[in-house]
Amino acid sequence: MAQYTKVNRTTCIACGSCNPNAPDLFNYTADGYAFCTLDDNKGCTAVPDDFLDDLEDAVEGCPSGSILVSDSPFD
Amino acid sequence: MSTISEEKYYDTTIIGGGPVGIFTAFYAGMREMSVNIIDSLPILGGQLSTLYPEKYIYDIAGFPKIRAQELIDNLIEQMEQFPVLKSLGESVVTITKLDNGYFEIETTIQKHYSKTIIISAGNGSFTPKLAGVPNEEHFKDANVHYFVQNMDQFQSKNVAILGGGDSAVDWALMLEPIANKVYLIHRRDKFRAHEHSVSQLLQSKVEIVTPYRPDRFVGDSKVEQVVLKHAKADEQKVLNDIDDVLVNFGFISSLGPIANWGLEIKEQSIVVNSKMQTNIEGIYAVGDICTYDGKVKLIATGFGEAPIAISNAKVSINPEATVQPQHSTSIMGAKEGF
Repeated sequence: MAQYTKVNRTTCIACGSCNPNAPDLFNYTADGYAFCTLDDNKGCTAVPDDFLDDLEDAVEGCPSGSILVSDSPFD
Repeated sequence: MSTISEEKYYDTTIIGGGPVGIFTAFYAGMREMSVNIIDSLPILGGQLSTLYPEKYIYDIAGFPKIRAQELIDNLIEQMEQFPVLKSLGESVVTITKLDNGYFEIETTIQKHYSKTIIISAGNGSFTPKLAGVPNEEHFKDANVHYFVQNMDQFQSKNVAILGGGDSAVDWALMLEPIANKVYLIHRRDKFRAHEHSVSQLLQSKVEIVTPYRPDRFVGDSKVEQVVLKHAKADEQKVLNDIDDVLVNFGFISSLGPIANWGLEIKEQSIVVNSKMQTNIEGIYAVGDICTYDGKVKLIATGFGEAPIAISNAKVSINPEATVQPQHSTSIMGAKEGF
């Protein structure tokens, strides 16, 4: 089943742990907060199958629970 | 009327043992204040030690680059030039202002007393994530661990380590020479640890068990077997004769009870004035937890806020003191007798 992801920007603490875990899915804005690079954090693009394990690593590694995952698009 | 004797009150208590908290404790020592530092984790270092100890930091004054843990080690060495009480593994639950204007700080372990408080709690308290197996709570006080505080306890033991990040891999490598057997269980074949550590792991005697997730712990008063399930297939594996389980699934942060202490909070941060003072007289905040007009959340900024908070706290309990401190060269020169 397809999975979708985005970062909750209000709870993200800019700790920098998601990009090393999932470099193809997450990056940081100039102020250090994370966003999903697939569609500029809209959460509407299915995560490619090859990156699903990385996504789980990023979710596990996120200390603020800010990486949201859903089996349907967010918007 | 308080019945607590004056000497039981620390001049200041730092809540939060990250880099800014440690530096604040050091600066309290510089200003000849008695100081207690409290952190929910059993180690100092905050996010730097728990989340990214191996990462380089490039914006600390005087260091072109420095690894996060090395910065923490240096800060602790700097702090320990003064006697600092370290109250680790304690979470602050409530702060009560007493009739005499001082504070009672109740943690999950005990009560502390302090004339002033500096909150340097960063993004709140960090607690380890659980393994997520059904009967985990039952074994938490027995042989399921989330930190290693004393490596000797694993001497000649069979240890099952759960996780695939830096902590899991580093602990597997550290324990391998002293334990009888180390298993490293991860749900995928790829580890998200430093490349060099993974290379060492592959050459070590650590038994890598992938791709498996923990399913349940088996035992009476302590875990004796760890039952694993295959991450992709309907298949089980059982690790027998386990003496200890070490869970390294990362941490979760939470502002927690800070929100209930009567402090003015704006967007998950504590509002302070130019003295780093909060809306409660005697309580100050520094580092990422505090906010003011123009605030920049960086370790470098927090280091600057620490002397401001401490110096103003010093004057609040000793009106004869001055906010402006002497230069450190003079203070340390006098301390060391030159």
